[in-house]
Amino acid sequence: MELKICHMYPDVLNLYGDRGNVLCMQRRLQWRGIDAAVTKLPIGSAGSLAGYDLVFIGGGQDFEQQVLLEDLHRGKDREIRAAVEDGIPFLTICGGYQMLGHYYETYDGKRCDFIGAVDLVTIGSKKRMIGNYKFRCGQESGGSLVVGFENHSGMTRLGSSVKPLGTVLAGYGNNGEDGTEGVRYQNVFGTYSHGPLLPKNPELCDHILLTALQRKYGRAELQPLDDAAEIAAHDEVAARI
Amino acid sequence: MNIRAFFAILLCKLLRGLSRLLHRGGTAMPGRWALRICPSLPALLARDLKIVAITGTNGKTTSSRIIEEAFSRAGLNYLANRSGANLASGITTELVMNSSLTGRMKKEYAVLECDERASSALFGQLKPQVIVVTNLFRDQLDRYGEVTHTLENIRTAIQGAPEATLCLNADCSLTSSLALDLPNPVVWFGIEKGAMPSRPLPEISDATHCIRCKTAYEYDYVSYGHLGGFRCPHCGYRRHPADVAVTEVVEQRMDGSSILLSLRGEKHLVNVNLPAVYNIYNAAGAVAAVTAMGLPAETAIQALGSFQCGFGRMEQFDLGQAGAKMMLVKNPAGCNQVIEFLQNVKEPFVLAVFLNDRGADGTDVSWIWDADFEGLQALGGRLTEVIVSGDRAGDMRVRMKYAGIPDGRIRVERDYARLVDWIAGQEKPVFLMPTYTAMLELRQAVIHKVGGQEFWEK
Repeated sequence: MELKICHMYPDVLNLYGDRGNVLCMQRRLQWRGIDAAVTKLPIGSAGSLAGYDLVFIGGGQDFEQQVLLEDLHRGKDREIRAAVEDGIPFLTICGGYQMLGHYYETYDGKRCDFIGAVDLVTIGSKKRMIGNYKFRCGQESGGSLVVGFENHSGMTRLGSSVKPLGTVLAGYGNNGEDGTEGVRYQNVFGTYSHGPLLPKNPELCDHILLTALQRKYGRAELQPLDDAAEIAAHDEVAARI
Repeated sequence: MNIRAFFAILLCKLLRGLSRLLHRGGTAMPGRWALRICPSLPALLARDLKIVAITGTNGKTTSSRIIEEAFSRAGLNYLANRSGANLASGITTELVMNSSLTGRMKKEYAVLECDERASSALFGQLKPQVIVVTNLFRDQLDRYGEVTHTLENIRTAIQGAPEATLCLNADCSLTSSLALDLPNPVVWFGIEKGAMPSRPLPEISDATHCIRCKTAYEYDYVSYGHLGGFRCPHCGYRRHPADVAVTEVVEQRMDGSSILLSLRGEKHLVNVNLPAVYNIYNAAGAVAAVTAMGLPAETAIQALGSFQCGFGRMEQFDLGQAGAKMMLVKNPAGCNQVIEFLQNVKEPFVLAVFLNDRGADGTDVSWIWDADFEGLQALGGRLTEVIVSGDRAGDMRVRMKYAGIPDGRIRVERDYARLVDWIAGQEKPVFLMPTYTAMLELRQAVIHKVGGQEFWEK
């Protein structure tokens, strides 16, 4: 078995530790004897997403946003919408998560058109939602308890046709108001848990990998791994928040 | 002098005295109170001082120590905020402790390390003669925000001191952009093409796109991180030739480097008393600053060979049979430099990494995933044992596991005293990599064992 993983925009969407997620998926496949080929798709690269089994998009700085949007609107936005509708699993984080929505409206009312692949919008706020946080994934996302770190001022509102990834137990999540965190639509997993989400949340990692394997091979199982280190780190942080 | 300033100075001195009675550092708190009473106190005290201010992401402390060593060799009467208290509060404390109650300074010169965020309010008051900007890297996003915001902070700060001579890192596209729209005279320092083998641009570069026009940079060579011979193919923004230029890295050792330094055309063979490439930059920046202050180049060069940094910066301790070296890490760029240094260690050794997530470390530990701990794999059997410690030891253990160190070879030890005792019995050299607050505690535990000075006594 093999998963072809696409890491989109590693050159600009790599704000804090995002590549840890790709590394984590790769290792957890390899430890089970499953091949994992990672292809990096930087700004300016052409090509279709149709051949990939999993797409990862991380978060970025405001500075490069304009460069990124120009590249997206040169056709990658269409590619991403098609891939999402085709059921290719996506893991998108922070800026990459917001980008899948319809638009971002800044605090002073300027609107920036995004990809529109997932029914959500983000509105800038003056408040910075920052810190360690935890949430419980919905049943359709495996139901695990996730610990992470969020750092955003955008408040994301989900449309009626999509579900949240989970329910906030401590921290802010999508907007600090409605208790939702992230998004689930088709096989898209979106979250504000920036940086290395997966290494400390191996259950969620395996759930996403399994989603990708099942889509590709019909039936698939993942052998259990020795997750003593991961679980210890997870529990240590969970106990503190 | 006004009455507010008098009471601010008085209170500051009293609080400092009280702190020392209680065996505390009292490096920042007294100044914080003084500033509340008299916000313009730094300007008043700095009025007659000739100041070198050092800011930037990495290398502030080491650069300051080199400049100090040169000042001391030149016999100058100077003060310095040596304790690492580099916010307005710490700098104010240091100024007050070197002044009379009436605000008359007992010193003529000052070497002041300034936090890159706090500098915005300070430079206008201090009016330094020389400002060194060491470099800019992504650092503690939760505290500082994006690196371009830090850059803007520094730009605003320098606007308060338009007469100051800037010493800028020519190889850092972020830092050198300060010269684009500031009127200040500039002395450039950097490492020239061919001075050392160029390396590939790292996967995570902190400045990929032109600061002026957002086109992707091209590079003639890379020294480390995003530092090197950058140029923008679109708008023409490019590396400025260096006035203080490292033209050849002759030798890199465990305890230092030999470099050829070109100072406005004149070449000098120089010994830098601390290892690793980032300290070669610190050396070049310090030479730029010392000469910009009007001291002879010879004095600066001698200082490079004799300065002592301490305070966790490649600090050597007589602990264990082969000694222990403490190497502070704060962000991916600096951490990668330390990992590269470890790759050059020839003999088997023990590595201990200490990860904290307190305010001064940054509460977000994601950055450990941007640092190339994978580079430790190249060490093979030379890395005999890996210990993880600190408040976030669990995160560090996972990072090591995914970097390819088998989990069975990673030991978690949170008790510093017990760890220091264990190190004392080791035959192999031990390398300690702590984040900032972990360094403070670890250093105390080590000093408790082997003796040495508290941080405020240095």
